[in-house]
Amino acid sequence: MTGTEPRLVEVRRNLLKDNDLRARALRQRFRTAGVRVVSVVSSPGAGKTTLLAALLQNLTKQLRVAALVGDLATDNDARRLAASGAPTRQITTGTVCHLEARMIEQALEGWELAELDLLLIENVGNLVCPSAYDLGEDVRLVLAAVTEGEDKPLKYPTIFNTADLAVITKCDLAEAAGCDLDLLRHNIEAVRPGMPVRMVSARSGLGMAELQHAVAA
Amino acid sequence: MHELSLAMSLVEGVEAECAARGGLHVRAVHLEMGELSGVHEDALRFAYEMACQGTELEGSRLATTHTGGSGLQITALEVDP
Repeated sequence: MTGTEPRLVEVRRNLLKDNDLRARALRQRFRTAGVRVVSVVSSPGAGKTTLLAALLQNLTKQLRVAALVGDLATDNDARRLAASGAPTRQITTGTVCHLEARMIEQALEGWELAELDLLLIENVGNLVCPSAYDLGEDVRLVLAAVTEGEDKPLKYPTIFNTADLAVITKCDLAEAAGCDLDLLRHNIEAVRPGMPVRMVSARSGLGMAELQHAVAA
Repeated sequence: MHELSLAMSLVEGVEAECAARGGLHVRAVHLEMGELSGVHEDALRFAYEMACQGTELEGSRLATTHTGGSGLQITALEVDP
């Protein structure tokens, strides 16, 4: 029977660290190539694609910008963003609920990073899992739409804690949605004291020039 | 919360380890799970089976041990002699 006994091979492979190592390598690549990388996270429907499409319209006039966008299925968002003329690639994750550094590496294949000034990454709409995955970005924006309720930051504090800038979207609808903007801002401050907050409406243009400045800076 | 992607990394990691050793047939994967890793074992087991489908690891067993800390680490592979 000894012939059928399994042999034990010792290995040491840390799974949770894998993404961090890849993200670190990506960050180094971006830095070397002189590309600024800004990612966007939010729940589905908070307005990531609309916001990015509006930002791209103007950013493409002054910078060499490209965009990556993640969804479980369809390339609808990539097509929307590509309308700006910026090189855009869709990452379809299948069943995976977030983007990972490995997916960014693969999506960048064939792009000359040195020819870019700015890379925008739109994550899968999800307020939970993306918080655990560093993508090598310089700045992470978290969006909260006025239609989502003021307590979103309290319910999903981790994503606010892994982001650098909070953006309140659809502000043109605040009154109609019955959103108390002061309370929303207060709740962001409660989970992440000192977090910078911008109030925007991609549709009306409110706050967009300032946000564009923050993204491009 | 993202056990499926962890299971996929797990399968990829094992495949890489096997390839590096000239191809092995794996019967079981020993995995050390940190108490603070935030990984749900039942969900991971379920996802592991799915992630193994259609790979060399199909039908392999996941043997877990629990430790302190926040790691999730493959420690050993049981392979055909």
